[in-house]
Amino acid sequence: MFHTTFYVRRLHSLVGLLALGMVLFEHIFTNSMALGGAPALNGALAMMELIPKPIFLGLEIGAIAAPLLFHAIYGIYICLQAKNNPGRYGYVRNWQFALQRWTAWFLVVFLVWHIFYLRIFTKGIAGTPISYELLQSYFVANPVYALLYILGMFAAIFHFCNGITTFCMTWGIAKGPRIQNVISLMSMGLCAVLCLVTLAFMGSYFVM
Amino acid sequence: MAEQKKVRFVIERQDGPDSAPYTQEFDVDYRPGLNVVAALMEIQKNPVTVDGKKVAPVVWECNCLEKVCGACMMVINGKARQACCSLIDNLEQPIRLQPARTFPVIRDLLIDRSVMFESLKRIQGWVEVDGSWDVKDAPIQNPYTAETAYEISHCMTCGCCMEACPNVGPQSDFIGPSPTVQAYLFNLHPLGKFDAPKRLNALMEKGGITSCGNSQNCVQACPKNIKLTTYLAQLNRDVNKQALKNIFNH
Ligand code: SF4
Ligand code: SF4
Ligand code: FES
Repeated sequence: MFHTTFYVRRLHSLVGLLALGMVLFEHIFTNSMALGGAPALNGALAMMELIPKPIFLGLEIGAIAAPLLFHAIYGIYICLQAKNNPGRYGYVRNWQFALQRWTAWFLVVFLVWHIFYLRIFTKGIAGTPISYELLQSYFVANPVYALLYILGMFAAIFHFCNGITTFCMTWGIAKGPRIQNVISLMSMGLCAVLCLVTLAFMGSYFVM
Repeated sequence: MAEQKKVRFVIERQDGPDSAPYTQEFDVDYRPGLNVVAALMEIQKNPVTVDGKKVAPVVWECNCLEKVCGACMMVINGKARQACCSLIDNLEQPIRLQPARTFPVIRDLLIDRSVMFESLKRIQGWVEVDGSWDVKDAPIQNPYTAETAYEISHCMTCGCCMEACPNVGPQSDFIGPSPTVQAYLFNLHPLGKFDAPKRLNALMEKGGITSCGNSQNCVQACPKNIKLTTYLAQLNRDVNKQALKNIFNH
């Protein structure tokens, strides 16, 4: 007996928390440099450019693309197994369960757009380097896109933070209701903080 | 004489497993202490809808009438509950009754819960007592876990937790909270624990414990107050350890 389902499910949980959590934090960290204006963000982007091209590409594929594709495709399969019912059972955890799946659907669409437009089209095909000026003109000219980016970040942040809670349950780390509640409150606290950071750096493009 | 108070019931009915559902409304005379099963009995005596049409009596299941057999589970005002202990005084009116569609519907409010029995077989929800050994006195229970075992043994396979769980239903192969947690009961048993690896391996199969999505509806829905989510987390720990053994012991 080789329990494929068990290992794939556990891998899905690990990849989401560790690999994709890293990607999310890297994005929040680098993007929050925008708060320091053009020199700060462009400086941070230039720092990343110091990583040799083949290594950078390898990281992008191995540490971002592959985990993301696996997590997304297997995640869609998981989403399809749920009949969300917070309307009938309106408990907080059940809303979080449903939101985990709704943010997942939104993120699949958002990330396809985000990755195709910025990474593959703008940076890859057109060869335009990503810079503060590029992002600022993009967002200021299209406030709707800026809004979609903010929503995409909110969705990813919630999905990650709620994922911390469910990770602790799924791995049997937090067993009783008290510790589960404490972890859930702490992750939602982290969610609020990261959302505020996002609002701050996205808003800074419009005020500076 | 004061006018007789009535209780309005809106019942989702269906004539057979594959027929289309429809709703009918009935009025039942109010009396103190009336519960949903007693009201359904009144409707059975006089199956006349609010528009005065005589219809076939509503079919449902009940047995113990005291929340121990599990048979009378149905969806009452949107939530899975035991009809025999749902007092009219505690329910918003009109009272909506629906079959628990997580399970196949046989007729009206009568459902087929045999899938839970099949799942109990799958997780080996029993203790092996017969064999080539002498049967001695019953082994002593661990006094530190006896209370937990007693709590889980209250499960009456009513299916409330299954109906409430968003991951149980025709769209998924999840065996559901109740049969999963029963594995823990038998793993705690002084004889049952010999088969614990078997049960944990069964839970690692497709449709086993990994299909739980931590919505925690089950623990809210259980009429026997079994701390399902706590034991699910315990079992998650146990299957992780079992997986390590599976990998490193061979
Ligand atoms: S915690 Fe798991 S078993 Fe319980 S209702 Fe949620 S998904 Fe179902
Ligand atoms: S665990 Fe509770 S809700 Fe689920 S079947 Fe058993 S008694 Fe019913
Ligand atoms: S009739 Fe037995 S639980 Fe309701």
